[in-house]
Amino acid sequence: MDASALSNPQLQQMINQEKERAMANEMIAKLTSACWDKCITSTPGSKFSSSESNCLSNCAQRYMDMSIMIVKRFQSMH
Amino acid sequence: MDSFSSPSSSSSPQMSTEDFMDQLKVQLAQAYAEEFLETVRGKCFDKCITKPGSSLSGGEGSCISRCVDRYIEATGIISRALFNAQR
Repeated sequence: MDASALSNPQLQQMINQEKERAMANEMIAKLTSACWDKCITSTPGSKFSSSESNCLSNCAQRYMDMSIMIVKRFQSMH
Repeated sequence: MDSFSSPSSSSSPQMSTEDFMDQLKVQLAQAYAEEFLETVRGKCFDKCITKPGSSLSGGEGSCISRCVDRYIEATGIISRALFNAQR
């Protein structure tokens, strides 16, 4: 494969898709790690308690809320 | 990602775009899996091997199995919370 193939639209489309997938994966991995540390405080059981699974899903959603708040806070500074 | 920089014996100098894309997908999947494994190792080591003994105990072994299962489950919960509950 020569270098000019890198401008192939099919390949470009795949690379863009993979970039998006990588971003999503990274986000999920980072939040899983952070929320695991916050929510799973005892040794892992054979199934999550409802409070553990609620904590995990709240944790991810609150992180998103926080991200928005932080952006707004910066935007309000001059 | 070595096979990108130095063409391996299997890839001809004129590798088709399709072959390249297939190879890229395999390599990406491997990289994601390795990264995930490394994370799980770290998390489960912290949770289950609290006092390293002369060998892995049965209790540690079952903790590790549960920990791996729960970490995979947690990843699913997080991705659903992020992408399904679009507010």
